[in-house]
Amino acid sequence: MDGESSNASSPRSAALRPLIDLTTRPTPLNYLREAWRRREFAIVVPAQDLRAQNMDTTLGQFWHLMNPALLVGVYFLIFGVVIDTSRGVDNFLGFLIVGIVLFHLTQRVVQEAAVSITQNLGLIRSIQFPRILLPASSVNGQTAAFIPAIILALLAVLATGERPSMRWLLLPIVLAAQFVFNFGSALISARIGTAVPDLRHILPHLFRLLFYASGVIFSVEAFVHSPGWRRAFALNPIYDLITCARWSLLGHTVDGWVLVGTVAWSLVMPMVGFWVFFRSEQRLGA
Amino acid sequence: MMTASGSVTVEIRDAHVSYRVYEEPAKGLKQGFARGRIRRRYRSIEAIRGVTLNLHEHETLGLIGANGSGKSTLLSAMTGLLPLASGSIRGRSRPSLLGVSSVMRPALSGRRNILIGGLALGFSRSEIEARMDEIIDFAGVREAIDRPMRTYSAGMRARLHFAIATARIPEILLIDEALTVGDEEFRRRAAERMDDVCGAAGSVVLVSHNMSEVERFCDRVAWLDDGLIRAVGEPAEIVEIYVSTSRPNSR
Repeated sequence: MDGESSNASSPRSAALRPLIDLTTRPTPLNYLREAWRRREFAIVVPAQDLRAQNMDTTLGQFWHLMNPALLVGVYFLIFGVVIDTSRGVDNFLGFLIVGIVLFHLTQRVVQEAAVSITQNLGLIRSIQFPRILLPASSVNGQTAAFIPAIILALLAVLATGERPSMRWLLLPIVLAAQFVFNFGSALISARIGTAVPDLRHILPHLFRLLFYASGVIFSVEAFVHSPGWRRAFALNPIYDLITCARWSLLGHTVDGWVLVGTVAWSLVMPMVGFWVFFRSEQRLGA
Repeated sequence: MMTASGSVTVEIRDAHVSYRVYEEPAKGLKQGFARGRIRRRYRSIEAIRGVTLNLHEHETLGLIGANGSGKSTLLSAMTGLLPLASGSIRGRSRPSLLGVSSVMRPALSGRRNILIGGLALGFSRSEIEARMDEIIDFAGVREAIDRPMRTYSAGMRARLHFAIATARIPEILLIDEALTVGDEEFRRRAAERMDDVCGAAGSVVLVSHNMSEVERFCDRVAWLDDGLIRAVGEPAEIVEIYVSTSRPNSR
Protein backbone atom coordinates (compact mmCIF):
# COMPACT_ATOMS: atom_id res chain seq x y z
CA MET A 1 0.00 0.00 0.00
CA ASP A 2 2.47 2.61 1.13
CA GLY A 3 5.44 0.36 1.51
CA GLU A 4 7.88 2.48 -0.40
CA SER A 5 6.66 5.76 1.04
CA SER A 6 6.98 4.56 4.62
CA ASN A 7 10.41 6.11 5.04
CA ALA A 8 9.38 9.44 3.60
CA SER A 9 6.01 9.52 5.33
CA SER A 10 7.35 9.11 8.84
CA PRO A 11 8.69 12.51 9.81
CA ARG A 12 10.22 11.11 13.00
CA SER A 13 12.21 8.60 10.96
CA ALA A 14 10.68 6.08 13.32
CA ALA A 15 11.89 3.09 11.35
CA LEU A 16 15.42 3.69 12.49
CA ARG A 17 14.67 4.17 16.14
CA PRO A 18 15.57 1.24 18.36
CA LEU A 19 12.88 -0.36 20.50
CA ILE A 20 13.03 0.40 24.20
CA ASP A 21 12.05 -1.94 26.99
CA LEU A 22 8.57 -0.88 28.12
CA THR A 23 8.40 -3.01 31.24
CA THR A 24 11.39 -1.68 33.10
CA ARG A 25 10.82 1.57 34.83
CA PRO A 26 12.83 4.66 34.11
CA THR A 27 16.06 5.27 35.97
CA PRO A 28 15.70 7.64 38.94
CA LEU A 29 17.38 10.37 36.94
CA ASN A 30 15.08 9.96 33.92
CA TYR A 31 12.12 9.82 36.25
CA LEU A 32 13.07 13.11 37.87
CA ARG A 33 13.71 14.64 34.46
CA GLU A 34 10.25 13.59 33.32
CA ALA A 35 8.68 14.99 36.49
CA TRP A 36 10.59 18.24 36.09
CA ARG A 37 9.33 18.57 32.54
CA ARG A 38 5.80 18.49 33.96
CA ARG A 39 6.52 20.72 36.94
CA GLU A 40 3.82 23.15 35.85
CA PHE A 41 1.31 20.57 37.12
CA ALA A 42 2.64 20.89 40.66
CA ILE A 43 2.31 24.66 40.49
CA VAL A 44 -0.97 25.27 38.67
CA VAL A 45 -3.01 22.48 40.25
CA PRO A 46 -2.33 23.34 43.92
CA ALA A 47 -2.79 27.04 43.14
CA GLN A 48 -6.24 26.28 41.77
CA ASP A 49 -7.06 24.02 44.68
CA LEU A 50 -6.13 26.77 47.12
CA ARG A 51 -8.30 29.27 45.31
CA ALA A 52 -11.20 26.84 45.34
CA GLN A 53 -10.78 26.03 49.03
CA ASN A 54 -12.50 29.02 50.63
CA MET A 55 -14.88 29.84 47.79
CA ASP A 56 -17.92 29.16 49.95
CA THR A 57 -16.85 31.34 52.86
CA THR A 58 -17.67 35.00 53.40
CA LEU A 59 -14.07 36.04 53.92
CA GLY A 60 -12.80 33.90 51.03
CA GLN A 61 -9.06 34.11 50.36
CA PHE A 62 -8.66 36.22 53.50
CA TRP A 63 -8.79 32.97 55.47
CA HIS A 64 -5.29 32.09 54.37
CA LEU A 65 -4.21 35.03 56.54
CA MET A 66 -6.88 34.75 59.23
CA ASN A 67 -6.19 31.10 60.01
CA PRO A 68 -2.58 31.47 61.11
CA ALA A 69 -3.40 34.78 62.83
CA LEU A 70 -6.11 33.11 64.92
CA LEU A 71 -3.88 30.13 65.61
CA VAL A 72 -1.18 32.38 66.98
CA GLY A 73 -3.77 34.42 68.88
CA VAL A 74 -5.18 31.39 70.68
CA TYR A 75 -1.79 30.08 71.76
CA PHE A 76 -0.73 33.52 72.88
CA LEU A 77 -3.88 33.90 74.95
CA ILE A 78 -3.35 30.56 76.67
CA PHE A 79 0.41 30.34 77.06
CA GLY A 80 1.30 34.00 77.09
CA VAL A 81 -1.53 35.36 79.23
CA VAL A 82 -3.46 32.62 81.08
CA ILE A 83 -0.66 30.17 81.85
CA ASP A 84 2.69 31.81 81.70
CA THR A 85 5.22 29.45 80.14
CA SER A 86 7.34 32.32 78.92
CA ARG A 87 9.83 31.70 81.72
CA GLY A 88 12.80 33.85 80.88
CA VAL A 89 12.21 34.05 77.13
CA ASP A 90 12.81 37.44 75.54
CA ASN A 91 9.95 38.43 73.26
CA PHE A 92 7.75 35.43 73.98
CA LEU A 93 5.16 36.48 71.38
CA GLY A 94 7.76 36.47 68.63
CA PHE A 95 9.12 33.17 69.94
CA LEU A 96 5.64 31.64 69.85
CA ILE A 97 4.71 32.94 66.41
CA VAL A 98 7.86 31.72 64.67
CA GLY A 99 7.49 28.29 66.27
CA ILE A 100 3.82 27.83 65.46
CA VAL A 101 4.05 29.03 61.87
CA LEU A 102 6.97 26.76 61.01
CA PHE A 103 5.57 23.78 62.88
CA HIS A 104 2.20 23.98 61.18
CA LEU A 105 3.78 24.28 57.76
CA THR A 106 5.45 20.89 58.16
CA GLN A 107 2.34 19.40 59.72
CA ARG A 108 0.06 20.57 56.90
CA VAL A 109 2.46 19.39 54.21
CA VAL A 110 2.84 15.91 55.70
CA GLN A 111 -0.87 15.49 56.40
CA GLU A 112 -1.90 16.55 52.93
CA ALA A 113 0.76 14.44 51.25
CA ALA A 114 -0.53 11.38 53.14
CA VAL A 115 -3.75 11.50 51.11
CA SER A 116 -2.29 12.99 47.92
CA ILE A 117 -2.25 9.64 46.12
CA THR A 118 -5.47 8.14 47.46
CA GLN A 119 -7.47 11.28 46.70
CA ASN A 120 -6.28 11.36 43.11
CA LEU A 121 -6.88 7.76 42.11
CA GLY A 122 -9.12 8.91 39.25
CA LEU A 123 -6.35 10.99 37.79
CA ILE A 124 -3.76 8.24 38.32
CA ARG A 125 -5.94 5.69 36.62
CA SER A 126 -6.81 7.84 33.65
CA ILE A 127 -3.51 9.46 32.80
CA GLN A 128 0.05 8.25 33.09
CA PHE A 129 2.36 10.75 34.70
CA PRO A 130 5.11 10.71 37.32
CA ARG A 131 3.21 10.29 40.56
CA ILE A 132 5.76 12.27 42.49
CA LEU A 133 3.89 15.28 41.10
CA LEU A 134 1.06 14.63 43.56
CA PRO A 135 3.00 14.89 46.85
CA ALA A 136 5.01 17.68 45.18
CA SER A 137 1.72 19.51 44.68
CA SER A 138 0.95 19.11 48.39
CA VAL A 139 4.30 20.63 49.30
CA ASN A 140 3.96 23.54 46.89
CA GLY A 141 0.34 24.23 47.77
CA GLN A 142 0.82 24.23 51.52
CA THR A 143 4.01 26.25 51.26
CA ALA A 144 2.23 28.85 49.14
CA ALA A 145 -0.64 28.90 51.61
CA PHE A 146 1.81 29.64 54.40
CA ILE A 147 3.45 32.64 52.74
CA PRO A 148 0.89 34.97 54.36
CA ALA A 149 1.61 33.31 57.70
CA ILE A 150 5.34 33.81 57.32
CA ILE A 151 4.83 37.47 56.40
CA LEU A 152 2.53 37.75 59.42
CA ALA A 153 5.27 36.28 61.59
CA LEU A 154 7.78 38.82 60.27
CA LEU A 155 5.40 41.71 60.95
CA ALA A 156 4.66 40.38 64.44
CA VAL A 157 8.34 40.06 65.18
CA LEU A 158 8.87 43.66 64.06
CA ALA A 159 5.87 44.81 66.10
CA THR A 160 7.27 43.21 69.24
CA GLY A 161 10.36 45.34 69.02
CA GLU A 162 12.88 43.32 67.02
CA ARG A 163 14.90 45.18 64.43
CA PRO A 164 16.11 43.62 61.17
CA SER A 165 19.72 42.58 61.32
CA MET A 166 22.16 40.70 59.12
CA ARG A 167 20.91 37.48 60.73
CA TRP A 168 17.55 37.98 58.98
CA LEU A 169 19.27 37.39 55.65
CA LEU A 170 19.80 33.78 56.71
CA LEU A 171 16.09 33.13 57.22
CA PRO A 172 15.54 32.18 53.54
CA ILE A 173 18.21 29.52 53.97
CA VAL A 174 16.43 28.13 57.03
CA LEU A 175 13.13 28.15 55.13
CA ALA A 176 14.76 26.46 52.14
CA ALA A 177 16.11 23.78 54.46
CA GLN A 178 12.60 23.32 55.81
CA PHE A 179 11.19 23.13 52.28
CA VAL A 180 13.47 20.28 51.24
CA PHE A 181 12.93 18.54 54.59
CA ASN A 182 9.16 18.87 54.07
CA PHE A 183 9.51 17.52 50.56
CA GLY A 184 11.26 14.38 51.78
CA SER A 185 8.73 13.92 54.58
CA ALA A 186 5.88 14.37 52.10
CA LEU A 187 7.23 11.59 49.89
CA ILE A 188 7.48 9.19 52.82
CA SER A 189 4.05 10.22 54.05
CA ALA A 190 2.53 9.71 50.58
CA ARG A 191 4.12 6.29 50.31
CA ILE A 192 2.95 5.09 53.73
CA GLY A 193 -0.42 6.83 53.48
CA THR A 194 -1.17 4.96 50.26
CA ALA A 195 -0.32 1.55 51.68
CA VAL A 196 -1.89 2.21 55.09
CA PRO A 197 -4.70 4.78 54.77
CA ASP A 198 -5.04 4.71 58.58
CA LEU A 199 -2.00 6.98 58.62
CA ARG A 200 -4.23 10.01 58.23
CA HIS A 201 -5.80 9.26 61.60
CA ILE A 202 -2.44 8.64 63.23
CA LEU A 203 -0.70 11.74 61.93
CA PRO A 204 -2.62 14.34 63.98
CA HIS A 205 -1.63 12.52 67.17
CA LEU A 206 1.93 12.07 66.05
CA PHE A 207 2.14 15.79 65.36
CA ARG A 208 0.58 16.65 68.69
CA LEU A 209 3.34 14.66 70.34
CA LEU A 210 5.95 16.31 68.13
CA PHE A 211 4.44 19.69 68.94
CA TYR A 212 5.40 19.29 72.58
CA ALA A 213 8.73 17.73 71.71
CA SER A 214 9.66 20.61 69.45
CA GLY A 215 9.57 23.40 71.99
CA VAL A 216 6.96 25.31 70.05
CA ILE A 217 5.21 26.84 73.06
CA PHE A 218 7.93 26.67 75.67
CA SER A 219 11.64 27.17 75.64
CA VAL A 220 13.53 23.89 75.82
CA GLU A 221 16.52 25.81 77.21
CA ALA A 222 14.42 27.11 80.08
CA PHE A 223 12.87 23.77 81.01
CA VAL A 224 15.49 21.20 80.11
CA HIS A 225 18.74 21.64 81.95
CA SER A 226 20.60 18.41 81.35
CA PRO A 227 22.96 18.85 78.36
CA GLY A 228 22.35 15.24 77.38
CA TRP A 229 18.62 15.77 77.04
CA ARG A 230 19.14 18.99 75.15
CA ARG A 231 21.30 17.11 72.72
CA ALA A 232 18.48 14.60 72.34
CA PHE A 233 16.18 17.43 71.33
CA ALA A 234 18.57 18.21 68.49
CA LEU A 235 17.55 14.85 66.95
CA ASN A 236 14.11 16.34 66.32
CA PRO A 237 14.26 18.01 62.89
CA ILE A 238 11.36 20.36 63.58
CA TYR A 239 12.97 21.56 66.80
CA ASP A 240 16.18 22.20 64.85
CA LEU A 241 14.46 24.19 62.11
CA ILE A 242 12.39 26.25 64.53
CA THR A 243 15.42 26.99 66.69
CA CYS A 244 17.42 28.15 63.67
CA ALA A 245 14.56 30.41 62.56
CA ARG A 246 14.30 31.88 66.07
CA TRP A 247 18.01 32.50 66.07
CA SER A 248 17.73 34.28 62.74
CA LEU A 249 14.77 36.49 63.64
CA LEU A 250 15.00 36.91 67.40
CA GLY A 251 18.66 36.34 68.14
CA HIS A 252 17.96 33.45 70.50
CA THR A 253 20.88 31.15 71.07
CA VAL A 254 21.46 28.11 68.91
CA ASP A 255 23.97 25.40 69.74
CA GLY A 256 26.15 23.42 67.39
CA TRP A 257 24.14 20.22 67.63
CA VAL A 258 21.04 22.00 66.38
CA LEU A 259 22.95 23.32 63.36
CA VAL A 260 24.33 19.88 62.60
CA GLY A 261 20.81 18.45 62.96
CA THR A 262 19.33 21.01 60.58
CA VAL A 263 21.93 20.40 57.89
CA ALA A 264 21.77 16.62 58.27
CA TRP A 265 17.97 16.39 58.19
CA SER A 266 17.62 18.66 55.19
CA LEU A 267 20.18 16.65 53.26
CA VAL A 268 19.10 13.17 54.27
CA MET A 269 15.31 13.53 54.26
CA PRO A 270 14.84 14.39 50.53
CA MET A 271 17.12 11.52 49.53
CA VAL A 272 15.48 8.97 51.81
CA GLY A 273 12.05 10.28 50.80
CA PHE A 274 12.76 9.94 47.11
CA TRP A 275 14.21 6.48 47.57
CA VAL A 276 11.18 5.29 49.57
CA PHE A 277 8.74 6.80 47.07
CA PHE A 278 10.48 5.78 43.87
CA ARG A 279 10.95 2.18 44.97
CA SER A 280 7.24 1.51 44.80
CA GLU A 281 6.11 4.35 42.55
CA GLN A 282 4.47 2.07 40.01
CA ARG A 283 2.40 0.29 42.61
CA LEU A 284 1.05 3.44 44.24
CA GLY A 285 -2.61 3.65 43.44
CA ALA A 286 -2.47 0.95 40.77
CA MET B 1 -4.59 -5.40 2.51
CA MET B 2 -2.55 -4.76 5.59
CA THR B 3 0.21 -7.28 5.88
CA ALA B 4 2.95 -7.46 8.44
CA SER B 5 5.06 -5.31 6.16
CA GLY B 6 5.35 -2.11 8.21
CA SER B 7 8.17 -2.03 10.68
CA VAL B 8 7.51 -3.10 14.25
CA THR B 9 6.32 -0.56 16.83
CA VAL B 10 5.77 -2.93 19.74
CA GLU B 11 7.29 -6.36 20.17
CA ILE B 12 5.87 -8.71 22.80
CA ARG B 13 7.94 -11.84 23.39
CA ASP B 14 6.65 -14.72 25.50
CA ALA B 15 5.20 -12.34 28.09
CA HIS B 16 3.98 -13.76 31.40
CA VAL B 17 2.11 -11.66 33.98
CA SER B 18 1.09 -12.86 37.42
CA TYR B 19 -1.37 -11.17 39.70
CA ARG B 20 -1.51 -11.25 43.44
CA VAL B 21 -5.07 -11.79 44.50
CA TYR B 22 -5.52 -10.95 48.16
CA GLU B 23 -7.81 -13.11 50.16
CA GLU B 24 -10.71 -11.15 51.43
CA PRO B 25 -10.65 -11.26 55.21
CA ALA B 26 -8.83 -8.11 56.37
CA LYS B 27 -11.39 -8.17 59.17
CA GLY B 28 -9.07 -6.10 61.26
CA LEU B 29 -6.37 -6.76 63.75
CA LYS B 30 -8.13 -9.39 65.80
CA GLN B 31 -8.15 -11.94 63.04
CA GLY B 32 -4.73 -10.85 61.92
CA PHE B 33 -3.27 -11.53 65.33
CA ALA B 34 -5.23 -14.75 65.67
CA ARG B 35 -3.53 -15.93 62.53
CA GLY B 36 -0.25 -14.75 63.90
CA ARG B 37 0.36 -12.12 61.26
CA ILE B 38 -1.15 -8.96 59.88
CA ARG B 39 0.14 -9.25 56.34
CA ARG B 40 -2.69 -10.37 54.10
CA ARG B 41 -2.56 -13.74 52.36
CA TYR B 42 -2.58 -13.82 48.64
CA ARG B 43 -2.65 -16.27 45.79
CA SER B 44 -0.70 -15.81 42.61
CA ILE B 45 -2.76 -15.99 39.44
CA GLU B 46 -1.21 -16.16 36.03
CA ALA B 47 -3.21 -13.73 33.90
CA ILE B 48 -0.93 -13.77 30.84
CA ARG B 49 0.74 -17.09 30.16
CA GLY B 50 3.15 -16.54 27.31
CA VAL B 51 1.97 -14.04 24.70
CA THR B 52 4.02 -13.28 21.61
CA LEU B 53 2.73 -10.54 19.34
CA ASN B 54 4.03 -7.73 17.14
CA LEU B 55 2.41 -4.41 16.34
CA HIS B 56 3.33 -2.61 13.16
CA GLU B 57 3.27 0.91 11.81
CA HIS B 58 -0.07 2.10 10.42
CA GLU B 59 -1.87 -0.78 12.10
CA THR B 60 -4.95 -1.05 14.30
CA LEU B 61 -5.01 -4.35 16.15
CA GLY B 62 -8.19 -5.62 17.76
CA LEU B 63 -7.92 -7.61 20.96
CA ILE B 64 -10.93 -9.79 21.71
CA GLY B 65 -11.73 -12.47 24.26
CA ALA B 66 -14.03 -13.34 27.13
CA ASN B 67 -14.03 -11.42 30.41
CA GLY B 68 -10.96 -12.39 32.40
CA SER B 69 -9.05 -13.60 29.38
CA GLY B 70 -6.25 -11.12 30.10
CA LYS B 71 -6.93 -8.31 27.61
CA SER B 72 -6.71 -5.44 30.06
CA THR B 73 -3.79 -7.07 31.85
CA LEU B 74 -1.88 -7.23 28.59
CA LEU B 75 -2.53 -3.53 27.96
CA SER B 76 -1.38 -2.63 31.48
CA ALA B 77 1.77 -4.65 30.98
CA MET B 78 2.42 -2.81 27.71
CA THR B 79 2.31 0.52 29.52
CA GLY B 80 4.70 -0.75 32.17
CA LEU B 81 2.07 -0.57 34.92
CA LEU B 82 2.29 -4.27 35.65
CA PRO B 83 5.66 -6.00 35.87
CA LEU B 84 6.28 -9.08 33.75
CA ALA B 85 7.02 -12.38 35.45
CA SER B 86 9.08 -13.30 32.40
CA GLY B 87 9.42 -12.46 28.73
CA SER B 88 9.80 -9.00 27.27
CA ILE B 89 7.80 -6.13 25.83
CA ARG B 90 9.71 -3.59 23.80
CA GLY B 91 8.39 -0.63 21.86
CA ARG B 92 9.27 2.60 20.12
CA SER B 93 7.85 4.74 22.91
CA ARG B 94 5.67 4.39 25.97
CA PRO B 95 2.07 3.75 24.88
CA SER B 96 -0.86 5.87 26.07
CA LEU B 97 -3.58 3.81 27.69
CA LEU B 98 -7.17 4.91 27.47
CA GLY B 99 -9.56 3.16 29.83
CA VAL B 100 -13.22 3.79 30.32
CA SER B 101 -13.90 4.11 34.00
CA SER B 102 -12.25 7.03 35.62
CA VAL B 103 -13.27 10.53 36.46
CA MET B 104 -10.25 12.67 37.08
CA ARG B 105 -11.53 15.25 39.57
CA PRO B 106 -15.29 14.79 39.99
CA ALA B 107 -15.85 18.02 41.93
CA LEU B 108 -14.18 20.23 39.34
CA SER B 109 -15.57 21.48 36.05
CA GLY B 110 -14.80 19.83 32.74
CA ARG B 111 -12.65 22.81 31.82
CA ARG B 112 -10.51 22.46 34.93
CA ASN B 113 -10.21 18.74 34.35
CA ILE B 114 -8.90 19.42 30.86
CA LEU B 115 -6.26 21.69 32.35
CA ILE B 116 -5.25 19.22 35.07
CA GLY B 117 -5.20 16.25 32.70
CA GLY B 118 -3.28 18.22 30.11
CA LEU B 119 -0.66 19.33 32.62
CA ALA B 120 -0.24 15.76 33.83
CA LEU B 121 0.28 14.71 30.22
CA GLY B 122 3.08 17.22 29.91
CA PHE B 123 1.38 20.08 28.07
CA SER B 124 2.19 23.59 29.17
CA ARG B 125 -0.66 25.73 30.38
CA SER B 126 -0.60 27.88 27.24
CA GLU B 127 -0.63 24.81 24.98
CA ILE B 128 -3.77 23.60 26.76
CA GLU B 129 -5.46 26.99 26.54
CA ALA B 130 -4.69 26.99 22.83
CA ARG B 131 -6.27 23.56 22.34
CA MET B 132 -9.12 24.03 24.80
CA ASP B 133 -11.84 24.70 22.20
CA GLU B 134 -10.69 21.85 20.02
CA ILE B 135 -10.80 19.43 22.97
CA ILE B 136 -14.23 20.63 24.11
CA ASP B 137 -15.66 20.33 20.62
CA PHE B 138 -14.11 16.95 20.02
CA ALA B 139 -15.68 15.69 23.24
CA GLY B 140 -18.96 17.41 22.37
CA VAL B 141 -19.47 18.67 25.92
CA ARG B 142 -19.56 22.40 25.28
CA GLU B 143 -22.83 23.09 27.09
CA ALA B 144 -21.63 21.19 30.18
CA ILE B 145 -18.02 22.28 30.24
CA ASP B 146 -18.33 24.54 33.29
CA ARG B 147 -20.34 22.06 35.33
CA PRO B 148 -18.67 19.72 37.83
CA MET B 149 -17.59 16.55 36.10
CA ARG B 150 -19.54 14.37 38.51
CA THR B 151 -22.71 15.60 36.79
CA TYR B 152 -21.53 14.19 33.46
CA SER B 153 -22.99 11.04 31.95
CA ALA B 154 -20.67 8.09 31.44
CA GLY B 155 -20.58 8.87 27.74
CA MET B 156 -19.61 12.49 28.30
CA ARG B 157 -16.83 11.50 30.70
CA ALA B 158 -15.44 8.98 28.27
CA ARG B 159 -15.55 11.44 25.40
CA LEU B 160 -13.83 14.17 27.37
CA HIS B 161 -11.25 11.73 28.60
CA PHE B 162 -10.59 10.48 25.09
CA ALA B 163 -10.26 14.05 23.84
CA ILE B 164 -7.72 14.94 26.54
CA ALA B 165 -5.64 11.81 26.18
CA THR B 166 -5.34 12.16 22.42
CA ALA B 167 -4.91 15.93 22.31
CA ARG B 168 -1.36 15.16 21.35
CA ILE B 169 -1.39 12.27 18.89
CA PRO B 170 0.38 9.39 20.65
CA GLU B 171 2.61 7.03 18.71
CA ILE B 172 1.10 3.96 20.34
CA LEU B 173 -2.48 4.20 21.55
CA LEU B 174 -4.14 1.50 23.65
CA ILE B 175 -7.92 1.75 23.92
CA ASP B 176 -9.63 -0.39 26.56
CA GLU B 177 -13.37 -0.36 25.85
CA ALA B 178 -13.30 3.41 25.74
CA LEU B 179 -15.60 3.55 22.72
CA THR B 180 -18.45 1.50 24.13
CA VAL B 181 -20.14 4.39 25.90
CA GLY B 182 -20.05 6.79 22.98
CA ASP B 183 -22.73 7.48 20.40
CA GLU B 184 -22.25 7.11 16.65
CA GLU B 185 -20.92 10.65 16.25
CA PHE B 186 -18.27 10.03 18.91
CA ARG B 187 -17.24 6.78 17.30
CA ARG B 188 -16.76 8.55 14.01
CA ARG B 189 -14.48 11.13 15.65
CA ALA B 190 -12.64 8.47 17.60
CA ALA B 191 -12.07 6.59 14.34
CA GLU B 192 -10.57 9.78 12.90
CA ARG B 193 -8.20 10.03 15.84
CA MET B 194 -7.17 6.40 15.43
CA ASP B 195 -6.55 7.10 11.74
CA ASP B 196 -4.39 10.06 12.79
CA VAL B 197 -2.32 7.75 14.97
CA CYS B 198 -1.93 5.17 12.23
CA GLY B 199 -1.31 7.85 9.63
CA ALA B 200 1.66 9.12 11.66
CA ALA B 201 3.31 5.69 11.50
CA GLY B 202 1.83 4.70 14.86
CA SER B 203 -0.20 1.75 16.10
CA VAL B 204 -3.53 1.37 17.88
CA VAL B 205 -4.68 -1.55 20.04
CA LEU B 206 -8.43 -1.70 20.51
CA VAL B 207 -9.93 -3.90 23.21
CA SER B 208 -13.63 -4.37 22.65
CA HIS B 209 -16.53 -6.74 23.12
CA ASN B 210 -18.38 -5.14 20.24
CA MET B 211 -17.57 -7.33 17.24
CA SER B 212 -18.92 -4.97 14.60
CA GLU B 213 -16.72 -2.26 16.08
CA VAL B 214 -13.72 -4.58 15.90
CA GLU B 215 -14.42 -5.50 12.30
CA ARG B 216 -14.96 -1.88 11.36
CA PHE B 217 -11.84 -0.38 12.93
CA CYS B 218 -9.21 -3.11 12.97
CA ASP B 219 -6.71 -4.29 10.38
CA ARG B 220 -5.88 -7.41 12.34
CA VAL B 221 -7.44 -9.17 15.32
CA ALA B 222 -5.93 -11.26 18.09
CA TRP B 223 -8.14 -13.55 20.17
CA LEU B 224 -6.97 -13.91 23.73
CA ASP B 225 -8.23 -16.88 25.73
CA ASP B 226 -7.21 -17.64 29.30
CA GLY B 227 -3.98 -15.69 28.99
CA LEU B 228 -2.93 -17.22 25.68
CA ILE B 229 -3.38 -16.14 22.09
CA ARG B 230 -5.76 -18.56 20.40
CA ALA B 231 -5.66 -16.98 16.93
CA VAL B 232 -4.43 -13.92 15.06
CA GLY B 233 -5.48 -12.81 11.59
CA GLU B 234 -8.07 -11.16 9.40
CA PRO B 235 -10.77 -9.47 11.52
CA ALA B 236 -13.76 -11.11 9.83
CA GLU B 237 -12.21 -14.54 10.06
CA ILE B 238 -11.12 -14.34 13.72
CA VAL B 239 -14.36 -12.72 14.85
CA GLU B 240 -16.31 -15.50 13.20
CA ILE B 241 -14.34 -18.24 14.94
CA TYR B 242 -14.54 -16.42 18.25
CA VAL B 243 -18.29 -15.88 18.03
CA SER B 244 -18.99 -19.43 16.93
CA THR B 245 -16.92 -20.95 19.75
CA SER B 246 -18.26 -18.76 22.50
CA ARG B 247 -21.96 -18.72 21.60
CA PRO B 248 -23.03 -22.34 22.22
CA ASN B 249 -21.76 -22.54 25.79
CA SER B 250 -23.15 -19.22 26.96
CA ARG B 251 -24.93 -21.21 29.65
